[in-house]
Amino acid sequence: MIQLLRRKKELSFERRYPASIEAVWRAWTGAEQLRSWWGPEKTTIPECEVDLRVGGRIRIVTEATEAMGKYQGTRWPMEGTFTLVEAPHRLSYDASSWTEGEQDTSTIRHTNDLELTETADGTLLTLRISITEIGPKAKMAAFGMKWGYKAQLDTLEQHLAAAGDGEVG
Amino acid sequence: MQAAVFGALGEPSRLQIVELLRRGPHGVGEIAEALGLRQPQVSKHLKVLDRLGIVDVEARARRRIYHLRAEPFDEIAHWVDSFEHLWEVRLDALGEHLRTHATDTTREDDQ
Repeated sequence: MIQLLRRKKELSFERRYPASIEAVWRAWTGAEQLRSWWGPEKTTIPECEVDLRVGGRIRIVTEATEAMGKYQGTRWPMEGTFTLVEAPHRLSYDASSWTEGEQDTSTIRHTNDLELTETADGTLLTLRISITEIGPKAKMAAFGMKWGYKAQLDTLEQHLAAAGDGEVG
Repeated sequence: MQAAVFGALGEPSRLQIVELLRRGPHGVGEIAEALGLRQPQVSKHLKVLDRLGIVDVEARARRRIYHLRAEPFDEIAHWVDSFEHLWEVRLDALGEHLRTHATDTTREDDQ
């Protein structure tokens, strides 16, 4: 169990997109583009700032919409500092995420390393997230633990079904 | 809860104790010997782990035997799983975004 736990504090994702490396880079680093995909569902992004330089700030606020029932209006900021900016290949930032009004108890700290590689048919994206600190109430925080878990899985399944791809997580 | 558990396991000796207990229940003396720690030190660590519900103690004859409890680890695993799923969904959304934006990007560049 411990081994699982230790391994899982480091999350690693790999995706291939049939898009140019520049397009993927812009989607990750342009505030307007980030707003359109950062999600998850049933949320809006009322604030999104990206100061793309080492030492610059990234701040994205996710807000629950009416569709999220009693969570409507809840805001989950993520704020971080870029530690590495090498367009269009590498981007790293240290960040904190929390539930507005519960910063003391809900803050999660994480480091994020994004790597983009050009491939013959598009771009390979590798994302490594290391969770370094979790506040006591974090499981109810930004990432929709309580309300979103099921909804996210549903969305994922729908997406995969639509794509004609049966592989679910 | 998770923060406290992560915090407790962030201490190297405590993590070693937990890893030793994965292999089965142990007494305080056995733990001290296996890890080369002093017994009072081990007792102190065990008290912390007990308070957080990471270990449970059981009296056998005159010995106190410690074993791991599964719940805190399940909770953490569940939390991390949901964080992971959020990212899966987000990266799917990025794919969708890239697909629908493919035709717009040139125009955006010109702005």
